[in-house]
Amino acid sequence: MKAIISAVMCLLAATGAFAADACYQDVSLDCGQASTSLALPRCNAVYGEYGRHGNVATEMQAYANLHLERSYEYLLSAAYFNNYQTNRAGFSKLFKKLSDQAWEKTIELIKHVTMRGDEMNFSQRSTQKPVERKNYTVELHELESLAKALDTQKELAERAFYIHREATRNSQHLHDPEIAQYLEEEFIEDQSKTIREIAGHTTDLKRFITANNGQDLSLALYLFDEYLQKTV
Amino acid sequence: MKTLLAVAAFLAVCAPSLATQCHVNPVNIPKEWITMHRPCRDSMRRQIQMEVAASLQYLAMGAHFSKDSVNRPGFAKLFFEAGSEEREHAMKLIEYLLMRGELTSDVTSLITIRPPERKTWDNGVEALEHALKMESDVTKSIRTVIHACEDDNEFNDYHLVDYLTGEFLEEQYKGQRDLAGKASTLKKMLDRHSSLGEFIFDKKLLGIDV
Ligand SMILES: [Fe+2]
Repeated sequence: MKAIISAVMCLLAATGAFAADACYQDVSLDCGQASTSLALPRCNAVYGEYGRHGNVATEMQAYANLHLERSYEYLLSAAYFNNYQTNRAGFSKLFKKLSDQAWEKTIELIKHVTMRGDEMNFSQRSTQKPVERKNYTVELHELESLAKALDTQKELAERAFYIHREATRNSQHLHDPEIAQYLEEEFIEDQSKTIREIAGHTTDLKRFITANNGQDLSLALYLFDEYLQKTV
Repeated sequence: MKTLLAVAAFLAVCAPSLATQCHVNPVNIPKEWITMHRPCRDSMRRQIQMEVAASLQYLAMGAHFSKDSVNRPGFAKLFFEAGSEEREHAMKLIEYLLMRGELTSDVTSLITIRPPERKTWDNGVEALEHALKMESDVTKSIRTVIHACEDDNEFNDYHLVDYLTGEFLEEQYKGQRDLAGKASTLKKMLDRHSSLGEFIFDKKLLGIDV
C-alpha cells in the first residue's frame, strides 16, 4: 500500500501540479523506515518549474558564464590602455570598472542559480547566438574600444531581456516571476545607465573627431582621458 | 581624357588624407628602459593565466558549497572571496608588466577562460585540502617564475625577483598556513562529530558564533 501511495505521489509531483506536501511526504515515509539513511529527494529548493521546463535555468547558468568571459576581456582592455604607449589611465579605469561589475555579477548569478536549487555549470552556453568573437582583440584605439564596449553591454542587456521574456511567457510551465523580478532589479535598470553612458562617450568622441577638420583630435583624446580619470 | 586620368590619380593619391582619422598615430620613444627578457616575461604570462584558472576553480568551489543539498554558506563565502583574490593576483602581475613597459602587444592572448576542472567535493575538509594543494602548486609555479627571471645569464631581473619573493611568496605562505590551520581544526572537530563539526565550522566561517 505504502509503495502505491508513494508511486502515486511521485507521479503527481512529476506533473508539477502537486508541489504541496512533497517534502513532508518524503519525511513521513522515510522516517518510519528501519533504515538509518534518509533520501528526502523532494526536500530541496526547487519550486515552480525551475529547471524542469523551458530553458530559464540553463540560460541563467549561461548568463553567469557570459559575465565571467566579458569580465576578463574588459580586464585585458584595461591593461592595454595602461601600457606606456597608449597611456590612457581614464580609459583603463573605465574598463576596469566594467570588468569589476561583470565579475561581481558573475558571483551573484552563481549564487542565484544555487538559490533556486540548481547547480552551476561552467560549460553551459546560451541558445542565443553569441556576438562574434573570432579575431577578438583588445588592442583597439579609443573609439573602437568604446564601440566594442557598447556592443558588449548591449549584448549583456539584451540577453537579460531574452531570459526575462522566457521567464514571463504566459504558461504555467514557463512563468517564473522570481527570475523576472531579479533580472529587472539587479541587471536591467543598471544596464540601461551603463549603455547610455558609453553611448554618450561615443557621441563626444565623434564630435572631437569631426570638429575643426580633425585638428582637435590629439588634444581632445588627452582631455577626454583626463575627464574619464576624474569621473569614472 | 588625360585630364580625367590626372584627376583620378590625384584623388587616389590624396584619398587617405581625406579619410576620417579616428585615432592619433602611434609615436616612437626610446626603448632601452624596457629590459625584461623573454623567458622571464613568458613565465610571468603563464603565471597570470594560472592565477585566472585558480580564480575560476575557486568560483566552482563557491558554487558547490552554495547548493541547497550542500548548504555550507560559510565555505561558499570563503571560496568566492578566494576567487576574487586570485583575480586580483592576476591584476597585480599585469600591473607589474605594464610598469616595466610590457603588454604593448599580445595582450588579448594573455588570458583564456576554460571551465574549472573539478566541480564537486565530498565535504569541507576535502575542499580545504584541495585548496591547499592548489596554493602549493601556485607557490611552486611562482618559484619557477623566479628562476626564469633570475637565472638569465644576460639579465638578472633583481627587481621582479624581489617583488615576487617579497609580495607574492609572502602572501602564498600566509595563505597556505591559513588553509592548513582551517583544515586541521575542522578535521579534529570531525573526529567524533562529523555532521555537527562541519556545521559549526561553517557558521564560524560566516562570522556567526553558534
Ligand atoms: Fe594567487
